[in-house]
Amino acid sequence: MNRERIPNHRLRATLSCYAIVAVPVLLLTLFVYLPVIWAFSKSLYQFEIGGESVFVGLGNYVEFLTADPVTWPSLGHMLLLTTFAVCMRLSVPLLVAKLVHSIPVERWRYVYRIVFLTPIVVPGVAVQLIWSGLIYADNGLVNETLRSLGLDSLARGWLSDPTTALPAVALIGLPFVGGFEVLIYYAGLSGIPESVNEAARLEGCTGLRKFFLIDIPMVMSQLKLVLILTIIGGVQGFQGLFIVTRGGPGFKTTVPGLWMYYNAFSFQRMGYACAIGVCLFVLIFGLTLLNMKYFRSTEELEGGR
Amino acid sequence: MRVRWISLALVVALGAWLLWPQPSDEAPNDTAPKQGHAAHSQDVRYVLRFSPGYFFMPDSVPYGIGKPLQGLKTVVREFEARFPDTRVEFLNVPGVREYLVTQLSSGRAPDIINVNVEDVWTDVQKGWYVALDPYLEQPNPFVVEKGDPNAPGYKQWWDIFRYQAISRGKAAPDGLVYCLSYDMIETGIFYNKDIFGKVGIEAPEDWESFLEVCRKVQAAGYTPVLMSIDMFSDWCTDLFFDQVYNNLLPGIDLLKDPKREPYLQGYLDWDEICFLHNLGFFTSSDPRYGEIWRLMKEFRQYVNRNLATTDLTREFVTQRGAMHWNSSNFTYRLLADKQLGFEWGVFYPPPFTDRTTPHASHVPMCVIGGSANQIEVTNSAFGDTGDPNTSERLQRVIALLQFLTLPENCERVVNEYPCLIPNVVGVPVLPPLKPFEEILERPYTTTKWVYTFDLKFSEIQRRMLELYLNDGIPFEEFLAWQEKNLGAACHNLVMRKPIDIPRMQAAWDAQAAARATMKDLPNE
Repeated sequence: MNRERIPNHRLRATLSCYAIVAVPVLLLTLFVYLPVIWAFSKSLYQFEIGGESVFVGLGNYVEFLTADPVTWPSLGHMLLLTTFAVCMRLSVPLLVAKLVHSIPVERWRYVYRIVFLTPIVVPGVAVQLIWSGLIYADNGLVNETLRSLGLDSLARGWLSDPTTALPAVALIGLPFVGGFEVLIYYAGLSGIPESVNEAARLEGCTGLRKFFLIDIPMVMSQLKLVLILTIIGGVQGFQGLFIVTRGGPGFKTTVPGLWMYYNAFSFQRMGYACAIGVCLFVLIFGLTLLNMKYFRSTEELEGGR
Repeated sequence: MRVRWISLALVVALGAWLLWPQPSDEAPNDTAPKQGHAAHSQDVRYVLRFSPGYFFMPDSVPYGIGKPLQGLKTVVREFEARFPDTRVEFLNVPGVREYLVTQLSSGRAPDIINVNVEDVWTDVQKGWYVALDPYLEQPNPFVVEKGDPNAPGYKQWWDIFRYQAISRGKAAPDGLVYCLSYDMIETGIFYNKDIFGKVGIEAPEDWESFLEVCRKVQAAGYTPVLMSIDMFSDWCTDLFFDQVYNNLLPGIDLLKDPKREPYLQGYLDWDEICFLHNLGFFTSSDPRYGEIWRLMKEFRQYVNRNLATTDLTREFVTQRGAMHWNSSNFTYRLLADKQLGFEWGVFYPPPFTDRTTPHASHVPMCVIGGSANQIEVTNSAFGDTGDPNTSERLQRVIALLQFLTLPENCERVVNEYPCLIPNVVGVPVLPPLKPFEEILERPYTTTKWVYTFDLKFSEIQRRMLELYLNDGIPFEEFLAWQEKNLGAACHNLVMRKPIDIPRMQAAWDAQAAARATMKDLPNE
């Protein structure tokens, strides 16, 4: 009798857990997965909101990948911006986190953590506007600094000059030290067992050698997380570009996400925009799979040993 | 265990509450008074939602200077007093297109909105907007009520509007008017008189002297003209186009719309643009077309470096720039600034001469401004029946607009601060805006390139022009982009609207004699 009641009790307990989880899953399905499926189906149509849909099969995809003159340059810009962002976010914040972690006094470690975390509270839009309106402006920080150094000929419209627009956009956020990456890496460094640090010390592994041989492998999970998030953000994101350059001059700072936005809401080509969205989804999915396969986390490294 | 089930019940209840359909704002017996409104009787039947835009939004403070605006609210409260079964709610809605598209497609947009009419044109065939022609061609009942048969608006509402050419020019490509032009805006070049005095120059009379002024100002260490790429792509394009094409109009203006022609002499509609484009106009084989962009590039050297900038005001008020091409509403910004340390004036871009280009038409620079607050009625207005012909609610929305356009009401709204020029006969123009009123007396532009039936055309033109003006592409490549872009826009136009080609061909043939005397036409 007892034996029968225990599984029953477990079943009820499990069921209630599933039931609680079912609600967010339902909402997720309703608001995330169904729109994705809907977007995929609509990508096969020439379609605008409020207008008639005409089935065009893979026509939108063919146009995007073969005929649209914006596609490949925009993918190139996305690749450059994402690569730059990956390089910056995997290196500079890690270095800062290591420096903060190395401070011997806990109180000062705390102070520096606060200092590096505070910029998170500044909205991204405000950051973009500060850079475009104060730093890159005609009489902004960059040009005025050049003028004061007697380099007046180098002053330019950084965001509207075709040769400098993309690098200028990439550098927004310099020096890339404020933000949650520092916190993530700091948490990873704090999680390195003291026995490992002790062993490294006994083996004479200190300074840069320890950083590269011990610390980096031990925060590989955090690096992997930041890498995935940066890639996803790089492929999807276009808000900053929309604010500072609107993708111009010409298409010099246009990325596929921004082109998708323009097609959807300015040009009324919703089906085409859906096709761009599906292509970006496939791209993100593929990159994430590659990342999962080739970029091994700390746990996997430990398992491999 | 029990805690889990209680948690589950709470989550479900919360989700259900969030997802539960909200009761409609509009209900025949909606009696609940809404926040921010005066107390109303129990029988409020119509709740009209009005998004007036930022110029007259009640309780807003223009440029953050002065007192909160009250004019529109006062007039609307009087309307509510006359119609106790009606309440008007003001909404401050995002000015972005995605908001508009999603709200209109779901029938939840405000009843009255204020957006640029070119954003409306692309959607008129979807039934999202109400054509105002049937109402504009009827008397305004509030004018009739006063009993003066000579008063504008007594015979037809149209007559109450002062700037007929511009107001009627806002007709969509289907020929119908979806936009009520409540007031006018015009551009002008605001200039710093102190800098001009220091450099020893005066407001220029023609384009050559204008460039000379720019050269001197630049040599003195100031940025001559402050303007953004949008101004190049919109205002500059139309002005330059008119300057070099105006004298061709007798040979190329093919359609005479009986309704609009008396007001818009020589305006080139998109049908005509497409027809002419097929004949080689506005292509690389059309010398005038290339001239527009060449002259623009020449002018660009006197403009701020960063054309993508949005904060030109700062450069002007801090006296780093000597001239700022802006709209009439900028007048208030300067008037209200108590810390402004210089005298300023306004002039309009001066005309081209033979020294500027061999294609100069020798006409003054045309009007490129026009309707400021462009008021549209959406499909929400006839949501009670789903049919604009039977909707009583729509009648009430129209009544509100008719009431707003009475001279005494328009004056209280538009003249609350010096910003825009009233578009109602009999309403005076505030003195600081007189220069703009004079400009508006000129002939209207030959065409408005950004008011196409294809928003993609405007976007690509803006982008490629910015690239060209910043030396990102050579002249020939830019022209190739323009040609391709215009071709695509014409193709889209043909897909959306039947074009009467035989009629235009007949007109083209009939005007051959006029063209015979014209030089430098593209090869047919």
